[in-house]
Amino acid sequence: MSSSQPGGSGLRYPSNKKTIYDRNLNRSKNAELSRAAFAYLFIEMINLAQKNAKDVGDLEKRLNSQGYPIGVRLLDLLLTRSANPLASIRPTRILPLLQFIAQTLYRHLFGRPADALERSGDDPSQYMLFDNEPMVNTYISLPREMSNLNCAAFVAGIIEGVCDGAGFATEGVTAHSVGVQEEGKEGKAMWPGKTVFLIKFKKEVLEREEMLARGGG
Amino acid sequence: MSYYFTIFSPTDTPLFTHEFGTSRSSGDGIAHFSPADRHLAPFILHSALDILEEVQWGPSSTAGSAPMYLKHIDKYANNYVSCWITGANVRFLLLTRPRDEVLGSGGGLGGQRGSLAGGRLGVGGGSGVYRPDAPATEEAVKNFFVDVYESWVKTVMNPFFHAGNGHVVKSPVFRARVAAAAKKYL
Repeated sequence: MSSSQPGGSGLRYPSNKKTIYDRNLNRSKNAELSRAAFAYLFIEMINLAQKNAKDVGDLEKRLNSQGYPIGVRLLDLLLTRSANPLASIRPTRILPLLQFIAQTLYRHLFGRPADALERSGDDPSQYMLFDNEPMVNTYISLPREMSNLNCAAFVAGIIEGVCDGAGFATEGVTAHSVGVQEEGKEGKAMWPGKTVFLIKFKKEVLEREEMLARGGG
Repeated sequence: MSYYFTIFSPTDTPLFTHEFGTSRSSGDGIAHFSPADRHLAPFILHSALDILEEVQWGPSSTAGSAPMYLKHIDKYANNYVSCWITGANVRFLLLTRPRDEVLGSGGGLGGQRGSLAGGRLGVGGGSGVYRPDAPATEEAVKNFFVDVYESWVKTVMNPFFHAGNGHVVKSPVFRARVAAAAKKYL
């Protein structure tokens, strides 16, 4: 057994002698971050991603990979918080996983559930999660030459992290603006910033889903 | 009883290993593996991963969700393997090796014979024999896993720690937490 005494192992303790293991996981459960602080930080993150990006696609990919590790971590954190930890359960089917994202994850991140969840009509492996007004895009105005950029790619990365972490490998999760398209149809769009997250699961995930459904799970 | 506990990353890399003995019924908390057993343990746990992958999606209790605690999933000779799987597919495997007396084999006999006896008794059951599916045993192992899981979540919350990249848990505090949970429940 290795020693846990401070000093002996070269481990440095914080001045209040509290390591992360002494802190309560639910400490920040209801804590809220100021929107200004987030916006400031997020702008810097976009700046960082933009520095070496070749084009818009590359920039979105960089934002995506910034969100990914957050998703993997939030998955376990929210699962421990969602219910009695003694009855810990994890999603094993696509639908509960997506509901977890649309409800639990969204509530944690933005304080409200996602606006809609749909399965694509022509591609059964594709699911669509709608957000009428993505919080991350609130203070972002796009220059003309980058009009097809959607900075919610960061949120898409978080979603991808949750899916991958839970064992539902995806081909990728991407964020697309759809507010403008609706505008063309109805004259004036109700949600100009409306964003859809396309979640495309890998073939093997769908095969497994089918097998499990047949097994009567 | 001796225990061998390992945490596996989603890509089957062992991230943390701890061995200990029971602290119940005047146990000294020290693992009593023979050198051969000790070397065999990682192989047993790795082979249990295959079975784990079959049962982890298994019949769900509540629609579309499964418990993290998968109970006793594998047995090799006199070694019983219990499992807990986290939401992010990190696997905790606990190998339990009961003392020979508890298994009903005379102890000191050949490993071959011991394993046969263990196999039969494991199915047949009987008083005084170690049973991995006894409610008290399951509950104790579960409590142990719950405590480790809490510490584990705190570990992965560290933004510099990437379980998926095979980062090994080096924190002595984490090890002390696991040892404390082991002492408390097993």
